[in-house]
Order: sequence, then C-alpha cells, then structure tokens
Amino acid sequence: MSGTDTAARVVYESEVTAVGEQVHAFLDHGLLIFFADESPAELHDMSVRHVATVAEEGPRPGDTIVLGDTRVEVLAVGSVVHDNLINLGHLDLKANGATEAKLPGDVTVAKQDLPLLTAGDAFRILRGSGATPAGDAGSTDQEGTP
Amino acid sequence: MSDYKSVQVSKGRGGWGGPLTVTPTDDKPLIYSVTGGGIHPVAARIAELTGGEAFDGFKSSAPFDKIAVAVIDCGGTARVGVYPMKKVLTVDVHATSPAGPLAQFITEELFVSGVKPDDVAPA
Repeated sequence: MSGTDTAARVVYESEVTAVGEQVHAFLDHGLLIFFADESPAELHDMSVRHVATVAEEGPRPGDTIVLGDTRVEVLAVGSVVHDNLINLGHLDLKANGATEAKLPGDVTVAKQDLPLLTAGDAFRILRGSGATPAGDAGSTDQEGTP
Repeated sequence: MSDYKSVQVSKGRGGWGGPLTVTPTDDKPLIYSVTGGGIHPVAARIAELTGGEAFDGFKSSAPFDKIAVAVIDCGGTARVGVYPMKKVLTVDVHATSPAGPLAQFITEELFVSGVKPDDVAPA
C-alpha cells in the first residue's frame, strides 16, 4: 500500500484533533466540513478540527485526499477553497460527484460514503503520479473520459 | 457611554439578501470578523462607521450575545448558516446565496452577500 505514495507530493498534511457532534448528520448528506483547531467555538459542532503541519496549497482536481484509511479523488475545486484552507484550515468536502464546483467553497469527490473521522486520523492532500487510489476494492470505476 | 451610529449594508455584485441595518450597542458592540487573515476590510469599515469594536473570531471567541454583526468569507456551505441560525446579522464578502445544510435559516432580514467596503454606507 505504501508504495503508491512514493511519487506523490504532500501539499497539505494535518492531524484530526476533534470531531463535532453534528458531523455524522452532515455525512448523511455527503458533506464533511473541516476547520482549524483554533476556529471559533460556534463552528465546532459541525466540523472536523485539525492541526496542520504542512499547509502549502489547497487541493486541485486530480489530487487525492486522504481521510484516515480512506482515499478520495478530487473532481472539482471552487474559487475560494485555497484561501479558506490555508488561512482557516477550512474545507467543505462534498461527495456529490459534481465535476464543477457549484459553490465557491466546494471541493467535490465521487458519490460515496465519507468516513466519520476520529482524533488522530490523518487529513492529507497528495498531488502527482501515484497519488490516485491504486485499484481500491469498491472503487473500480474509471473517471469518465471527456 | 459609546456613541454608536448605524450603517446600511447592501448586497454587492452577484450578491443576495439584505440590505441590513447594523447598529452596535453597549450590549452588542462587536463587529465579529470570522475571516482569513485577520479583520476583514468590510468589518473594519463597519466598525469605523458605527463606532463598534472590530473583533477577530479566529484569535479569540466572543459570546454570541455581544455580536452586532458577523462578517464571514464563506464559500457557501458552513458559516453562511451558522450565524443566521443563531439570529446574528451576517455579512458574507463572497457572493453566495442560501445553500448548505443550514440554508433554511438564511433570510434576507439576517443575511447579505457579495459585500465590499463600498457597500457599507452610513444609514
């Protein structure tokens, strides 16, 4: 498994510190919200909080986001995603299969069940060859060619 | 003892909602900026014109009942709903419309978007 990462570059690396009580309810709608650990208290219920050790760039289409033991491929990225992630540790991940970001804060991935993370899990963004999932069982469909 | 003034905050290009009239009081003095990179220029403008206190929500937390208005740079899903849900006047500097899991709480009376400093005027 580890061999798949050798050529990929880590552009964002973080560790989950807390998972809000509402996160599971949003997961039912294919939505996972991240905020930095030091975010205001009113955002804690709805978000997965984390502490970044690498914060070079936000995601791009084709990148892989690692969520604990799960890997998802980024389909689309809205216009304010980079700034929100770098400045606030904030990201809205939507498993809706959209190939265009409907909202400026959206990061979309294929329709799937996103994991309910726990403290200590990795939240990581990988870029480059080898970053994409290597034939994971259950996710064998190809991304549609244009 | 502060002498507060009112401002009207109107939607900007592509924005939604409002206009909102913001008047800080001694009980609710805070212009609460929940944005990247410190106090946002829109929050600074509202504070300057009203006499309210610009407050960086990412530096320290404020009690909700002290907030006159929340200024956010939300991309459309999370923060756009959190503050209206708690009946806090909300200004998004991005041109978003009601969406996300809390969309039901986002009303024209509580929320305005696409706002730039020039969209804030003395009321």
